[in-house]
Amino acid sequence: MAVKLECRCVTFRYGKTDILHDISFSVEPGSFCAVLGRNGSGKTTLLHCLNGIHKPHQGEIRINGNTIVGMTRNQIARHISLVPQEHLEIFPFKVIDVVVMGRAPFIGMTRTPSPNDYDLAMEALKTLNAQRLATCNFNRISGGERQIAMLACALVQTSDIMLLDEPTNHLDFNNQYHLLSKIKQLCQARKTSVIASMHDPNMAILFADTIVMVKAGKIIARGPAPEVMTKPNIDALYETDTTPVKISKTQHFFLPGEIING
Amino acid sequence: MIAIPRYPLKKSPRTIPVLCVLLAVLFFGSLLAGRFKITISEIIAIVSSLLPGNSLSQDLISQKLVFLWIRLPRCIMAVMVGTGLSVSGAVYQALFRNPLVSPDILGVAAGCTFGAALGIILPGDSFYLVQAMAFGFGLIAVSMAVGIARLISIKPVIVMVLAGMVVLSFFNALLMILKYFSDPYDELPSIVFWIMGSLTRVTWNDLYITAPVTCCGLGLFMLLRFRLNILSLGDVQAQSLGMNPFVFRLMLILVSSFMVALTVATCGQICWIGLIIPHMARTLVGPEHENMIPITVLLGAIFMLAADGLARSVTAAEIPVGIITALTGAPIFAFLLYKNRGSGWL
Repeated sequence: MAVKLECRCVTFRYGKTDILHDISFSVEPGSFCAVLGRNGSGKTTLLHCLNGIHKPHQGEIRINGNTIVGMTRNQIARHISLVPQEHLEIFPFKVIDVVVMGRAPFIGMTRTPSPNDYDLAMEALKTLNAQRLATCNFNRISGGERQIAMLACALVQTSDIMLLDEPTNHLDFNNQYHLLSKIKQLCQARKTSVIASMHDPNMAILFADTIVMVKAGKIIARGPAPEVMTKPNIDALYETDTTPVKISKTQHFFLPGEIING
Repeated sequence: MIAIPRYPLKKSPRTIPVLCVLLAVLFFGSLLAGRFKITISEIIAIVSSLLPGNSLSQDLISQKLVFLWIRLPRCIMAVMVGTGLSVSGAVYQALFRNPLVSPDILGVAAGCTFGAALGIILPGDSFYLVQAMAFGFGLIAVSMAVGIARLISIKPVIVMVLAGMVVLSFFNALLMILKYFSDPYDELPSIVFWIMGSLTRVTWNDLYITAPVTCCGLGLFMLLRFRLNILSLGDVQAQSLGMNPFVFRLMLILVSSFMVALTVATCGQICWIGLIIPHMARTLVGPEHENMIPITVLLGAIFMLAADGLARSVTAAEIPVGIITALTGAPIFAFLLYKNRGSGWL
């Protein structure tokens, strides 16, 4: 199902400090939106506002034009899934048992998952070419595999809107590209709206359709990736001096100037 | 290509029937065990005499009294205590995402013990007063822990454990004061014996309260057992999967504290059950609470019945069952730790 996510004038504060200030953007179905910003700029808080874990003090989140204020957690969970940044140590569950938890919003409060739910979980693992993980101990697989398993869990939950909090964290060089291209494919095939917070602007250039740049809780630039990913914007965002490096006819990577010019 | 089972649902479907049979055998076994000899044929005669139209021969009267008013309530209570403590332990371990947590972590048992000691010292020797005080202070202790955690209200899980430690040490200190000022010939021994948990005092009246509460609690935990899996993923994950972890945690803590407080108020402190039984169940069928909670219920009942049977029959004078559970629990726990090494959890 194609679902549009809008974030309108969202302000959120812890105590008296504004963590997010007047954030507005929207994500069309089937597009990949990258949220860029330095550490502590409010990326995670923004993602948590988007699925209602945090209640914004001003502004609102709308899915397909309907505000999520007044929706139950379960109703939101049927449209928005989240892959958190950190995976806490958990009981030595099998991967399939973790993935099937994605069905929670669709299972009655007092019920346990049915064979059908397990089939759906298995399918999600297959989509990510990870069915071999199904019976592995979740605590004993690599960080990259764990990320895949959590992605499968989110996929079983809903592919309407997926929020990914630094999905390539802890992944090796190859896995980073592998995972992001997988996400990109899903995004196009299932008309998923993906909002991912990312650390590497060059990754965003390769995979994202739209960019939101957040600095100290405020948006400093947003829009289609080719328009937003310019030297002035990136320099302002990361407070550094970057040098564009041409990688194809239309695309540039940005690397810190002092490193290149040495 | 490795063959993958379609969905790895039940790991060992035979475990539950086997445990049920074991429980039934132990239950009848412990009805027979004890210094006062009652044989199977006598039990059959006694039970059938309860049906209308049958009468009991005169020489079985004392057997009937022992069986109906001492053994039967005691064995049922052992089942209730065993299941209640072990399932509460399993729930606490899931909620606090920590394998070393037992139901006393929030100070229930410490509160109960203090309450009981206070009841013993206060004038008047109503045993109901002692029980009521124990139960009341157990709940006060938990509410204090939860209240302190709410005041601090960051990192809810770890703060709650720390608040539990605060409350626990506080009540232990209060208990020490009471012990110090109590009469060393009369009150101090009864406090000490009270703390060593035992099922000797159990009557039907205790069961009328404990049994319904324990059964309701068990029913609730059985219904919510899949939700325990989700809660054990942590708050952020539980919220994004559509749950309200705070409400659930509070509800589950209150229900299991209620069960534990009631148990401690009637039988004193019975250690280790809440800690080792969930580990045993996890070793048998894996950590998924769908499978593990029913196994925990059965194992808890079995372990407690066996321990109480031992307590009654090992020596001529009965030893408190709390000593047996602690004595057997510690080495069993060490064995489980060894067995589960490398699961990535310990």
